[in-house]
Amino acid sequence: MDSASIIEDLQPILADILDNPDLRLSSESNASNVEGWDSLAHINFVVAIEKLYRVKFALGELQDLKNVGDMAALIQKKVGA
Amino acid sequence: MNEYRWADLGPGLGAEFSAAITPAMMTAFADMSGDLNPLHIMDGFAAERGFQGRVVYGLLTSALYSRLVGMHLPGKWGVLHGIDVEFKAPAYVGDLLTVSGTVQFLNEAYRRIEIKARIVNQSGAVISKANIRAGLHDA
Repeated sequence: MDSASIIEDLQPILADILDNPDLRLSSESNASNVEGWDSLAHINFVVAIEKLYRVKFALGELQDLKNVGDMAALIQKKVGA
Repeated sequence: MNEYRWADLGPGLGAEFSAAITPAMMTAFADMSGDLNPLHIMDGFAAERGFQGRVVYGLLTSALYSRLVGMHLPGKWGVLHGIDVEFKAPAYVGDLLTVSGTVQFLNEAYRRIEIKARIVNQSGAVISKANIRAGLHDA
C-alpha cells in the first residue's frame, strides 16, 4: 500500500465529512488549505481512518502530522505496509 | 447524573431510562421550534391521515438522545458532537419511551465515543435509531 493509494482512500472519506464531493486531496493538503476542515471534522476524519485501517492513533502521533502526506506515512507505518 | 470518566468507558457499556411524552412537551417544542404543522398540533388532521393522533415531533423525541449523553452515558463529562437519527415509527402524546444506548467505539486520541442508541415505545416498537458521537472533557 503506497502513499498515493492511501490518499486515494482518504479523499472520499474527507469529501463526505466536509460535504464537498469536489474535494481533491494531495499530500500537501491540510486543515489550513482545505475549506471546512475544522477541529470537529478532523476528529471525524481520524475516527474514520481508524475504522477503515483498523488502527489506533495516539494523540502525540497526530499532533506531529503536518498534512495528508504525513498521515498517509503514519498509516503505512501502522499497517506495516 | 452519571459521571463516567474516560477510564470508566469501554465497548458494551450501556445506559437506559424512560420518559413520558406530555402535552406540555409538545406545546413547549411548538413554541421553541415554530413548527406548527397541523400533523403535530391537531389530532383530527393527523387521524384523517391514518395516524392515531397528533404525531410527536421527531426532534422532540430525539432530544432524549441529548439527555442520554448529558445525564447517563457518559453524563457530566460528556459533550455531544453529532447524531445521525433514523425515524422508524411515529410516537404519540402519552407514550412512555425508553431510551437505551451502548458504547460501540472509542477514539483514545481525541476522547471521542460512539454510541449506538434507540428509542422504543411502551409496546416495544422502535421509534428511532441513532448513532451518537460524544466527546469527554474530563481531563
